[in-house]
Amino acid sequence: MSEVVINAETRTRFGKGAARKIRREDKVPVVLYGHGTEPQHLMLPGHELLLALRTPNVLIRLKGAADELALPKGVQRDPIKGFLEHVDLLLVKRGEKVTVEIPVTTVGEVADGVLDQQLVSIAVEAEATHIPTGVEVDVEGLEVGTQITAGDLKLPKGATLAADPETLVLHVTSAAAPVEEAAEGEAAEGEAAEAAPAEAAE
Amino acid sequence: MLIPRRVKHRKQHRPDRHGAAKGGTRVVFGEFGIQALEHSYVTNRQIESARIAMTRHIKRGGKVWINIYPDRPLTKKPAETRMGSGKGSPEWWIANVKPGRVMFELSGVAEPVAREALRRAMHKLPMKCRFVKREVGEA
Repeated sequence: MSEVVINAETRTRFGKGAARKIRREDKVPVVLYGHGTEPQHLMLPGHELLLALRTPNVLIRLKGAADELALPKGVQRDPIKGFLEHVDLLLVKRGEKVTVEIPVTTVGEVADGVLDQQLVSIAVEAEATHIPTGVEVDVEGLEVGTQITAGDLKLPKGATLAADPETLVLHVTSAAAPVEEAAEGEAAEGEAAEAAPAEAAE
Repeated sequence: MLIPRRVKHRKQHRPDRHGAAKGGTRVVFGEFGIQALEHSYVTNRQIESARIAMTRHIKRGGKVWINIYPDRPLTKKPAETRMGSGKGSPEWWIANVKPGRVMFELSGVAEPVAREALRRAMHKLPMKCRFVKREVGEA
């Protein structure tokens, strides 16, 4: 995976007032830590960081105030507008092995039933500079009752599984009963419960 | 319909309608969801109505999650009653929903079907909402 080079500046003022001022300048407050070093408080350009974080586990090379390699560890976003509020960066070194969560995606259509994906990401151990972008699972033609566990996944070269191999990733279940009957049945139950809400609440 | 089995206090103050959701702002269980964009009290009837609207559209298959629960009672005084004489009787059960909250989630159906199902469900809800998808590999 290629690195993204981002220019970092040191933060000297802290607290919500200073952080808001930084965000108004289209920058993001960031903290960089790891390997037992003192945390470094930085700020990065907002748009560049936003674009970089679209890639899962992107390797960021910081320049300027800190000349380090880092991986995103925690990202805080505004829930409505989606802009970055704060990012935690984890310091990594070239050649070092790190444990990261990579996305699990499915390819194809199941033969029958409904695909129930339990895990959307899985923990793997890989070299910090060669983190796989994701793992694909071919579900083409899978029958009802088929289960795929973490141990069954074909991981990309250089990555080893860091999760329990017995963990269920996905399984194929039979399609649910027609909704109309189920809904009517529940509606009848709902009326029964509604008849005595006051008593139930007391 | 969702109703608490028993509560500690039968009559409560009206919940706070300020601020944004602190958690539950991402799609985590399913693939698609409905996110609230405004504050609102959502009654158990509205939740049930939205659930029925979406499950009828997806017909067979698919899985629905309801991430909110109407655990707060609201009271109402009878019509043409003079003020005083104590608090009114419990009338509704509501979930206090704040902006950003993902209220419903859906999986196991194609995106066009999910969009239409959730659009129908949004019409049953009392606030502005939007369709959201699970972000792949978001840190």
